[in-house]
Amino acid sequence: MSTRNPSYTNPKSCKHLADYKLRHRLNGFNSLQEHLKTTPAGKSSVSQSQTKIPRCGFCDGYRERLYLCLICSSVSCSSHTLLHSQSENGHDIAVDVERSELYCVLCCDQVYDPDFDRTVMLKHIMDLPPNRSGVADEEGAVRRSSKRRRLVSGLEFDSKKSKQMVSMRDRRAKSCYPWGLRGLNNLGSTCFMNSVLQALLHAPPFRNYFLSDQHNHEVCRKRSSDRLCLPCDIDVIFSAVFSGDRLPYSPAQFLYSWWQHSTNLASYEQQDAHEFFISVLDGIHEKEGKARSPSIDNGDCQCIAHRVFSGLLRSDVTCMCCGFTSTTYDPCIDISVNLDTPNCSPTGLANKSVKPNENTGISTLVGCLDLFTKPEKLGSDQKFFCENCQERQDSVKQMSIKRLPSVLCLHIKRFEHSPARKMSRKIDRYLQFPFGLDMNPYLSSSVVRNRFGNRIFAFEGDDLDTSAEYEIFAVVTHSGMLDSGHYVTYLRLTNQWYKCDDAWITEVDEGVVRASQCYMLFYVQKTLYYKANEDLSCQPISSRRDPFVPIAGCC
Amino acid sequence: MSLPNDDNMSPHAQLSSHFFGDLLDSVIADVASECHRIARLGLDRNLDEEEEELRLSAQARAMVADSSNSGETTSKYVVDIFGQTHPPVATEIFDCMNCGRSIVAGRFAPHLEKCMGKGRKARLKVTRSSTAAQNRYSRGSPSSTYSYSNSTSMNRLSNGAPGVAGEEYSNGSFEEL
Repeated sequence: MSTRNPSYTNPKSCKHLADYKLRHRLNGFNSLQEHLKTTPAGKSSVSQSQTKIPRCGFCDGYRERLYLCLICSSVSCSSHTLLHSQSENGHDIAVDVERSELYCVLCCDQVYDPDFDRTVMLKHIMDLPPNRSGVADEEGAVRRSSKRRRLVSGLEFDSKKSKQMVSMRDRRAKSCYPWGLRGLNNLGSTCFMNSVLQALLHAPPFRNYFLSDQHNHEVCRKRSSDRLCLPCDIDVIFSAVFSGDRLPYSPAQFLYSWWQHSTNLASYEQQDAHEFFISVLDGIHEKEGKARSPSIDNGDCQCIAHRVFSGLLRSDVTCMCCGFTSTTYDPCIDISVNLDTPNCSPTGLANKSVKPNENTGISTLVGCLDLFTKPEKLGSDQKFFCENCQERQDSVKQMSIKRLPSVLCLHIKRFEHSPARKMSRKIDRYLQFPFGLDMNPYLSSSVVRNRFGNRIFAFEGDDLDTSAEYEIFAVVTHSGMLDSGHYVTYLRLTNQWYKCDDAWITEVDEGVVRASQCYMLFYVQKTLYYKANEDLSCQPISSRRDPFVPIAGCC
Repeated sequence: MSLPNDDNMSPHAQLSSHFFGDLLDSVIADVASECHRIARLGLDRNLDEEEEELRLSAQARAMVADSSNSGETTSKYVVDIFGQTHPPVATEIFDCMNCGRSIVAGRFAPHLEKCMGKGRKARLKVTRSSTAAQNRYSRGSPSSTYSYSNSTSMNRLSNGAPGVAGEEYSNGSFEEL
């Protein structure tokens, strides 16, 4: 069982548990199964009788932690379990009555066993209302994973092609900096656009697509009478930026087309980098999605915007009365997270002198993601209609990620709207973000498993693998106020950080990036990140300074 | 957590205090058991990396705080990686795709917005953009907040009919404020 859970280090069972299983096989587990009770929230306990409170066989106490012997079903409290195993030879394994966890009396430790966990989970699944229980295996999960494999191999192909392109351009190169570093002129408060363009230009699978000429603007213009084509304008920027030219480029044509594109948007005045990002991807999808028919086995769009950025969110609403779970899936092209409130405990602040590296009180991206996938009690005003109970019930909603994109864009909600005061304000708090991000804990399989007490059990679509591990490649930061701020992008290319501040591209220390105020974070799957670095590096790092470039102050 | 002394309490209060104590113990055991499982099954394997990232971040912030006086404000005058310097407002000149006039890059967006003559807030935006552009030297200072309610009305008065494409620019430069 546990071999299907690669995220687990296989628990090594203690000698006593191994002995017990050898002698009694699964008999104890199986006879226990019918006494297992599970709350709608997913916690399990052992309940032998409806009316009688379990008491310790030695002291008659009921307030201590109680354990049930797996062999003779006698109950002892934590102080008397050892006594029981001494009086009854071989009665070493017991079950924590309240938590249905195995306990080895001789080791004095909680122990874990895949077969026991399986027993608990199977009972749980039997007890849950039929269908859509949130744990049942779906056919869809299997199909999806096969699809993802194909998608990844497609991207590899792109990358091979673009590698050729890059090495071809290599020979014409004068620069020894990573390819595609070129400043973008500010056209008058257009740093929101420049910042996002820089991130898009260096999103490895997206870049590979355009550099391998899969949307060539000249071919497209000849073929189509429609002169408005956002992917074409992006292709033009790619050509310009990867041309080797070092003078800043003015993305004027792009701005013009984008505005023509977004005239149908309610608000013409877009100043927010995140809104711009969404609108550009929409524009690409609109054009490319039509050209490519969605894949046959599932309705997923095959346009480049969705192939690279689109993931699937899962939302579970669980009835707190019967445990019935209603699950919905929503595609997303980025994940917007709320800033988590730092747990600024007064003691934590008071003890500053004791712990100089006190990190509580800092908001972290991991904290934001925890918050995003945290079960949330729905208010009494939004009670959910439970199909099983056939009435409105208290319920808990929980988000998780069913499928991750190859490029993960995380948007930090820094703009807070106060409906009462009809005002918006910017939350100027620092948010710590890691360079390497493991998204495994936020996947649906992990979230659901955690809901049921992290039992060792193969949950739906349990395909945890390294593709949930990400590396950061771009950070869009915002400084200043809501209306008059400035966007700057930090790009990580061949493990060096570059600051892209409109026309200015400078090298920065990674500390500057770590300390920056992030607004949008762009992560790419680890494997794609390392592949992209191979493609980009054109010269050994030791000779990175171009001798022909005059250094300031020397001329 | 110090529970009040049992002796001075009514039986009723004693009982509820006991119940509370039991519940608390049980909740603590729940959390301990859950954490034990997570640790034993290795589900917390990222903990060390997360701590390391946190440490690096704290270190970086301390470093940046130390050197912040030399500051970001001068970033517009630095030399880029190619050894180039750039003017604060981009001076490249090209023709507007909409009206064909020559426009300087740094003023293109406000021009285009007027030129295309669309959008609810086109007029506001022009004022805002050029205000922002002119305040680039003092970026980061609060003085760059625009007060466009005044200047907008001035614009209206001086410029006449809204949405007329680019009439007021004869040579591609703006004299609005």
